Amino acid sequence: MKLYKKEGNILQILSFSDENVEKGDYLLVEDPDARKALIAQVIDMQFANIPGVLEELLRTLPDGGEPIQGEDIDPLEIAPHITYIQDASMLICKIRATLENELLSPSSSWLPSRSQSNISKLSVPKLLKLADVEGTRPIIIGGTKGASLLTIDASSLDGRLNIITGKKECGKSHLSKLLMVSLISYKATIVIFDLNGEYSNIGMTADGKRNMHYHKIYALIPAKNFKVALEQLHLNVVMGILIHALHLPGTSAREFRRIWKTLKDSGNLTLCSLGEAIQNLKCNQHVRDALVSRYHALVNSGFFTDSLAEATLLEEILLKSKEEGGAIVINLRNTSTIDRQILVEYVLGKLVDSLQSWKLKAVFLFAEEAHLYLRETYWDDIVTRMRHFGIFTTFITNQPDTIRESIYRQADNIFLFNFTNEHDLDVVSRASRVDAETVRSIARDLPPHHCLTLGKVVRDFPIVARVRNLDVKTMGETRLFFNDKK
Amino acid sequence: MIEQYTITTTPKYNFPQSNIDTILPQRFIEQSIQSLKQVPPQHIQLNQHNFLQYHILEQHPSHLRLNHTPITLNPNHQETTIAAVDTSTIKIGETATGIIIAIRGSTTWKQHKKYRYTRLGPFIFHITEENKNEVCNTLEQAYFGTYYYNNRHTSPNFTQMPTRLASLLERWLQTILAKTLSKGLILFDGSLTSGTSDAPVQRMKEILSLARNNQSMVLAFSKMTSLRVNGYLITEQLPKHEPPYLLETTGLRFKSPLIPLGNVYVARLNKSKYAFRLDIDKETPIPQRMSAVEKLLGNDLHMQGYPETLRLAHILCTFTANEVLAIKHFITRKHGIQIINRPDMHKLLFGPFGKGEIYS
Repeated sequence: MKLYKKEGNILQILSFSDENVEKGDYLLVEDPDARKALIAQVIDMQFANIPGVLEELLRTLPDGGEPIQGEDIDPLEIAPHITYIQDASMLICKIRATLENELLSPSSSWLPSRSQSNISKLSVPKLLKLADVEGTRPIIIGGTKGASLLTIDASSLDGRLNIITGKKECGKSHLSKLLMVSLISYKATIVIFDLNGEYSNIGMTADGKRNMHYHKIYALIPAKNFKVALEQLHLNVVMGILIHALHLPGTSAREFRRIWKTLKDSGNLTLCSLGEAIQNLKCNQHVRDALVSRYHALVNSGFFTDSLAEATLLEEILLKSKEEGGAIVINLRNTSTIDRQILVEYVLGKLVDSLQSWKLKAVFLFAEEAHLYLRETYWDDIVTRMRHFGIFTTFITNQPDTIRESIYRQADNIFLFNFTNEHDLDVVSRASRVDAETVRSIARDLPPHHCLTLGKVVRDFPIVARVRNLDVKTMGETRLFFNDKK
Repeated sequence: MIEQYTITTTPKYNFPQSNIDTILPQRFIEQSIQSLKQVPPQHIQLNQHNFLQYHILEQHPSHLRLNHTPITLNPNHQETTIAAVDTSTIKIGETATGIIIAIRGSTTWKQHKKYRYTRLGPFIFHITEENKNEVCNTLEQAYFGTYYYNNRHTSPNFTQMPTRLASLLERWLQTILAKTLSKGLILFDGSLTSGTSDAPVQRMKEILSLARNNQSMVLAFSKMTSLRVNGYLITEQLPKHEPPYLLETTGLRFKSPLIPLGNVYVARLNKSKYAFRLDIDKETPIPQRMSAVEKLLGNDLHMQGYPETLRLAHILCTFTANEVLAIKHFITRKHGIQIINRPDMHKLLFGPFGKGEIYS
């Protein structure tokens, strides 16, 4: 390999076919005199602009549809050299860091010698070691090209905003399960908004046996094993549900607050008494109608109960998982849009309450296709206010444009699977820790189950890895009509 | 060592073979390897000028008359094999003691409406003042049983060596075709004027004779000519007549030692505005000559009035810049010759006005 050009933080390196370099590989451009080296990543590969190649191709063009038949007698065996030159490639590389005295710095302000520099491939393990990526709580994401492992530090997910995105069926849920299981093993508390009901069985192995995490997985199905007694509800949480999920107007909200307090003070806070109080409320007809319709929405969700025995104490589960780690899976599979929003409002409200009162230290929240249940104002709330309380969110989506631009800008880590659509790539490339060229060039060519990891988890050295297998029961398979596989 | 290289066996042409020696020019390979071994462990100076390819040059003009009455031609579609030969040479770079050149030859033929080709080479030579005679003599002796000094009074000019070796290969390929092709047409690139170092009279006569014995006809097309009548190039005095046609010339005489072995015509083979000098073996009867051109018209394509078979031969032997790079890579890897760039004195002294030496 030879250094050809440097423009800004882009290097162009001439490479030959026997050097076997691929997109995503890291190269070390060492200048022995300067005693420094540039670490650059191959983000694109092009044919080198070899003079005469066009003529060479033109004369081998077919003649009237058939190639001209012939024999080349090449006694000195020059032909392999011609092929060697013709197949030369130009590697477009992005400078990621400068290595000096075994220390990395993000600088690319110096110019290595074109003629004297030695260019070699930098293996992922060596890079990870230099960047000190693995840390003390390793999570093995998968294998990189050189059969080495990509291991990240669980601490680098702590306090961070993460995004897992890619097109359908490329392994996003698989990776999020892997992260969850790994975090649980480090005794982390996890809450999952499980849109398709595919995380409930992460406590089971693929063949249906219980795994080591079985007792730490709390699969909650709303209106079945997940109900709330009004008595347990804090007024703020209820008001959040009414205003944000059920869009109760301000005047009606004031009336509801008054009714709630009255019932609470009288020790008679039940669904039934709440309904009666609303019916008997002497007020404007529109206000009453608004309250009645919201009351029925709450009742019809099946999520609220008067029976304390039926009610599930989310707080208790959270506290249990605080000790040994655990995942609370909120199964949103068979819930309507309104019910979903009610549930999410409740869970988030409860989490904020628990965190504010230091009952919980921090929670990792995994939200799949969050646009389907997260209200507009929550997006910014989650990445700013709630982060300070200790809710560290991972968004999982196959529609990257459903996540707001401000979320991308603040994302600390992005796990990017294959995207072919330019628009999707444009959206993802808005993330501040990502450079657009890398995303566009590498993500487009990622094979299934391969993930480009970007951000703090890899110390801003984007690395492609094949996500490792996980022995958990898969639930996310699409139901098919033609399922008679041969 | 010769045995380090794969020397392939006889190329099989797709037309009748006679019992003649058609082995590969092993001497070319031997001389090529031998000469490269003689390069001392030193750097090679890259050829600073554009990749220059040498071709056999046009001969001197003479008194000449051009008959402006066209000889009308009717394409004859009777199946006839058409074969063509061309060679090319290029200077790769310079060493302290000489130059490194590459030579390649190609033969193409059209038979049963399909084109086929054989390419020979490239052969790479390190030519020095010391070895130039040896290289020439060995090759001449190997193929034609003659020594260079037997026919000439002076040793070959150093700068003419690339052309000399290329024409040696070209004559050998022409000989092979003349020996092997029966009742066909053999197209040469250039004229049938003999008496030069590159086209010795005896050798040219032998080639034409071999072709005649095989009932084949040699047609030599010149891409450029210096022959003029009344001050104008013969190829630019075209009558208003529907092509294809030939214009006959008479009175072609050269000063000694040049001897024309063909009759010169101006051939306009299609409606394009280009016409070419065409030399046809003067030992053949005129009706046969016309018949040969008509068969060429009926059996080959003509782009810009030039036979496709000959055009392909030229294209296939030409060195591309990519191949030149590959050859440099080969001599560096196989023979350890390091390539460096010495400053171009023209550019150094005259800046943008330094255009470098112009080879002619």
